[in-house]
Amino acid sequence: MPPEPAPHEAAEDLSHAPKQKEASFIKDLFSVPLPVKKLFDLVPLVTYSPNQLPQRSPKSSRIPSLYIFSTDHDAAAGRPSFNPSCLKWQTFLNIAGVHYRLVSSNNHASPTGALPFLLPPAQSNPAQDALPVPSNKILKYATDHGGQIREPSGMRYEAYQSLLDHRIRNAWLYTLYLSPGNFSSIAAPLYIHPASSNPLVRLSLSHSLRSAAAAELLKQSAVIDANDLHSEADKAFEALSSLLGADEWFFGEEAPTLFDASVFAYTQLLLDERLQWADAKLSTALRRRANLVAHRERVLGRYYGR
Amino acid sequence: MESPSDAGDSLFESLSKQLNKEKVDARAIELEERVLAQNARAQQRLRELIGSNTTLPVTINKILLVGGGNTRHSFLDRLFNPLLSVNRDLPYTFGEALHEIGSVATKLERFGIFKEPVSTFIDRPSPTDPNTTVTDIDVFLRAEERGRFSAKTGTDVGNTEGSAYAEVQLRNIFGGAESLNFNASAGTRTRSSYHAIFETPVLSDPDKWVSIDALASSTQKPWASHEEGLTGGGIKYSWTTKSGTRHQLGYTGVWRQVTGLGEKASPTVRHDAGDSVKSSITYTCLEDRLNHPLLPSRGYLIKTITEVAGWGPLKGDVAFLKSEIETTGALPIHIPGIKGDSGVSLTAGLRGGFLLPLGLGFNGPVKHSRINDRFILGGPTDVRGFKIGGLGPHDGGDSVGGDVFAAASANLLMPLPRVGKDSPLRLQVFANAGRLLPLQDPKGKGRAGEENSLRELSSSVRRLGDALPSTAVGLGLVYAHPVARFELNFSLPVVVRRGEESRKGLQFGVGINFL
Repeated sequence: MPPEPAPHEAAEDLSHAPKQKEASFIKDLFSVPLPVKKLFDLVPLVTYSPNQLPQRSPKSSRIPSLYIFSTDHDAAAGRPSFNPSCLKWQTFLNIAGVHYRLVSSNNHASPTGALPFLLPPAQSNPAQDALPVPSNKILKYATDHGGQIREPSGMRYEAYQSLLDHRIRNAWLYTLYLSPGNFSSIAAPLYIHPASSNPLVRLSLSHSLRSAAAAELLKQSAVIDANDLHSEADKAFEALSSLLGADEWFFGEEAPTLFDASVFAYTQLLLDERLQWADAKLSTALRRRANLVAHRERVLGRYYGR
Repeated sequence: MESPSDAGDSLFESLSKQLNKEKVDARAIELEERVLAQNARAQQRLRELIGSNTTLPVTINKILLVGGGNTRHSFLDRLFNPLLSVNRDLPYTFGEALHEIGSVATKLERFGIFKEPVSTFIDRPSPTDPNTTVTDIDVFLRAEERGRFSAKTGTDVGNTEGSAYAEVQLRNIFGGAESLNFNASAGTRTRSSYHAIFETPVLSDPDKWVSIDALASSTQKPWASHEEGLTGGGIKYSWTTKSGTRHQLGYTGVWRQVTGLGEKASPTVRHDAGDSVKSSITYTCLEDRLNHPLLPSRGYLIKTITEVAGWGPLKGDVAFLKSEIETTGALPIHIPGIKGDSGVSLTAGLRGGFLLPLGLGFNGPVKHSRINDRFILGGPTDVRGFKIGGLGPHDGGDSVGGDVFAAASANLLMPLPRVGKDSPLRLQVFANAGRLLPLQDPKGKGRAGEENSLRELSSSVRRLGDALPSTAVGLGLVYAHPVARFELNFSLPVVVRRGEESRKGLQFGVGINFL
């Protein structure tokens, strides 16, 4: 099939007329002659309804799907994800009141190579299907689709956000992936075992996961010092605790915001009774801040039915 | 020769007076005929000599391989020992001995470690040797070993794909025709592929081989918006029966990764993204009686592939029984008025297969099939007139494959006027059809179970024929290059299902294996 000429091509000025003529000649050369076109229009003689999809295909839905790290069972029940960035956006969508369904998945499914991402519902015409929404565009998607969003901003907000994105995240990466006891008791069962039952594959995946975590930490400092990471995180918890003070939500808002979701993403996982931390230093540090613990309970109760 | 003249003048004259060409030709022919006649007489004499002596009792006393410096003694012993009269109950006649020696020489050639031909000499041992009897003969085989190391680069054509490769081969590593082959390639669809294979004949028999291979590759699957990475290896045993049927039984363990998804990848593909391990046993049987691999006009081919994965001790992450059959038949057609072979032939192909999910391990759960295990159908080398993977279930723009398929094709091949039947060019008129279906729970419960999947399979097989298959017809040009078959077809879809990707108009196909 010849490509359709771009619309601006037809509106070119007259000085380009010969070129245009040439272009139309080439177009004629590649276009389908009329009798053949008529023949093409006749076929196919019979068109049946489409084939059914394989059994493993997910059922189509009218609401967007949020792909997160979870188990099939937990995803169906809407339980919190075990991955902080997935949990942050899961909580955010709950706060914003956007309807979605959860799909348990892994990084290979994501357009950016990392979960979460949101897949808008399929359209009746596949050509109009919207592209997947990576995590950094979920906020915009929620805004565009009628989410109720209260968004704090300003220098102060960004400074506290960076506490989460760096100090707490680094300590989390260390605690989960590099602290040996935690890796085998928590990270491996959650991230490695669902991928494959084969011991060699598990070994290879564990190795690449741990070296990715180490590489991430080494981006920010020349050595990985566990004590240093813990004390930084401890200071960050202290700062967050005093920011929250006796308020119900951060920044004195009346309702939770994306920031509350970001804090909850870590506090929930560090305080979750289902996760048996072998090295519990980080969660112990968190437990000392009673208002953060109460904040986690509030979000959990309000958005996860407990 | 012309008689030379004594004067200088006439010498020049006689030289310039060129021998007339016809005379020269006639002489050359005469000479050739004489040589031929002499050879024929010599052969005739030899034949008579051998003929009159075929019943002569002989005993083989000694077999000597000349030029097999790198080849192990124990390897050759297995070939030669059965020939020695010491190891036989009955004495040979001369004719039998010659036959046996000839077959050993052919076997030697088939290992691929010697340059062809391997020549044979027979001699009588010296009568003064007290260890010999009058019936004794000595056999000498002369062979030249091929280089033990070779490296080459080149381009290759496979089904719907072209690639460039580099290959290193080590031959006769341990002196027993063992070879190690390392191959690295990159192609239009295969981003990269590394393949190492070690092969050795079993018990010095060129009909039985064991091979161990390792593989790492990454292949793009644009019809389903993803890329598949493979890392794995296996062991295979191949054998050829006396009738020429080839069998292969092998174990494969491979780690598959569905990754690098396209932006528009469908939910089905996204759902199957990630890792899985397939641990399987595959049996392949091939009976190829076609008179030409790429442009057959007579004969038939039957190939079956049966694979069991994940069941019982195999473990892994996927469990299924997958079976596939491929048949091709070719028939020359006589045209009244043309004597002998008309060059017109009819070829027909029939393929089918199914995938039955099994319980993983011992009494494990039955899981639905994944995208990398399901069949795809359609494309210029199977059901023409459809894009690659154009038939069967589609989720959005992705061809997600099916669990049961059947496809058939009929091609009428005709030589081109003026070019003739001896050229590798043919005109073809074809009609082909196919159907690719997923398993469906007839009761719609959506629950997987072993007895359930068997019921689903039989219901899907029944549904193969419940409506017309997706069909396309067309005509085109076929060119059988020694490396691959090229086809340029003009096709029209006749029956399609919504979502299936047919192709109206021209379609180009390159491959070695056509439906």
